Amino acid sequence: MREQAFRFGRADHMVGIAGLPAASTQAVGVIVLNAGLVHRIGPFRLHVELTRRLNACGYPTLRFDLSTVGDSGASGESQTRTQQVCADVRDAVTLLSRQSGCTQVVLFGLCSGAQNAHTVACTDASVVGAIFLDGYAYRTFGYRLRHYLPRLFDAGRWWRTLAYRRNPSTPRSTEPVFSVVALPQEVVRADFASMLDRGLKLCFIYSGGISNYFNHARQFRECFGRVIARPGVSTRFIAEADHTYVLTGDRNRLLDNIEHWLSDNFPVANAGASP
Amino acid sequence: MTMLATPLEAELPLYFGVGGELFGLYQSAGTPARKAVLLCPPLGQEQIRCHRLYRQLAHALAAEGIPVLRFDYYGCGDSAGASAQVDWQRCLADARDAADELRQRSKTDRVIAFGARLGGSIALTAAAAARFSELVVWDPVLDGNAYVARLDAMQNALRRDPQRFCKPRLASDAADQWLGFAISKSLRQQLVELRCEPTTVPTWVMDSLAPTTTREWQSLGIDASRVNVLQPPTPWDDLGRLELAILSHALIQAVTAQLREVA
Repeated sequence: MREQAFRFGRADHMVGIAGLPAASTQAVGVIVLNAGLVHRIGPFRLHVELTRRLNACGYPTLRFDLSTVGDSGASGESQTRTQQVCADVRDAVTLLSRQSGCTQVVLFGLCSGAQNAHTVACTDASVVGAIFLDGYAYRTFGYRLRHYLPRLFDAGRWWRTLAYRRNPSTPRSTEPVFSVVALPQEVVRADFASMLDRGLKLCFIYSGGISNYFNHARQFRECFGRVIARPGVSTRFIAEADHTYVLTGDRNRLLDNIEHWLSDNFPVANAGASP
Repeated sequence: MTMLATPLEAELPLYFGVGGELFGLYQSAGTPARKAVLLCPPLGQEQIRCHRLYRQLAHALAAEGIPVLRFDYYGCGDSAGASAQVDWQRCLADARDAADELRQRSKTDRVIAFGARLGGSIALTAAAAARFSELVVWDPVLDGNAYVARLDAMQNALRRDPQRFCKPRLASDAADQWLGFAISKSLRQQLVELRCEPTTVPTWVMDSLAPTTTREWQSLGIDASRVNVLQPPTPWDDLGRLELAILSHALIQAVTAQLREVA
């Protein structure tokens, strides 16, 4: 496996690292999108660990910074953020295709990265799969039941909450956080149906770190209906993990899940080739 | 039409060093330079938190006509190696290699090092071997033992943080890690033993530590005239801001002004 650094894009304004397996392969490539404003290495270097593990399995990868994020500059174009994200990923696909020979890609995104992956997967014909980590989700009736009922009768939780508020060792930041307004639930549900109709494979992995709006594996179905039961959809809820997988054991288990999902859905012809 | 991302020449991403294991971003100043600046990053989460600030600083220095190299140590950022393979001696060697890379690219022998936190400690410790002409260090870690104790305390608090985890995690789940990064026993020991010694290289300190923190700048042989106190204090140890970027226009202005003045 070798990694190469690139400045690329329609305005030569983006920075990315392509990971290229030693053996020539026709496998799909994996493109990793920024998680929020963290640069391309990802939270706690998650994206580096992910791409190197996938390279060892035979998948070419590209982790890169979208326009104006991380080390990438602005393209100088007059575009909406959605247009920009789509154009950025198109440029990334072109680069990875040129370097590795792959013509199809799976997108990976955490949080806002999942939202961007969703946006691109709706329209880009080169996308054949997507891995959404803590992507779109909506509070449901089931969520509220699961959230509020146990709290009413949990003395330990009351005690911890009160103790924490009385003596917070780590007061919360009040600084503004950039966020994107979620698409309406019906729109997202229709988007997923459309992606599946086009043959995309979708992997949803949600964590306990978003327990303010998602708290059980059943909620995938509650949010998105029957579409979530269709072939081509994989769901996993990792309740014990936090949003950005700060613990190395959680991160390794996440990477195991992703590796297995990819090898099940997009097997590499020469799987097992040494890096 | 191809356009540059900024009025400056675009940064060049590259791999360098033995085996091309180190990642860097070189920002040319576009004109012949009399000095160049190497930005030595901190380690662990502080590197991620400082990434944007380092980029802004690189651009500000390049705008002053100073070439700049940012880089990642082995086991950090986009460089080769796993997080658990970070090694103090290797970090010092990487800083030396990065300084040589910068000399070669900028065609100037005079390299000034800037470093925040452990990046400052690395710049101080590697100063002679890397032939740095001057140093600017931002809240460098001088007492490794105290720093390790703080990281251990933060890691212990992190696993019990109800804002992060639905249920407190076991100590074993959080063992051998600091704030998202696996660490080796040898790195822990190396940092426990870290004690920055006075250097003969001219050094300036950017001090944004909390008012309650003990200052030890005199132990480095740095008098008050070379200490620039910045406000507000930087929340290095605030677990609630663990994943928020550290930004400081005051720091960028102070460092740029300092390096502009250096003849």
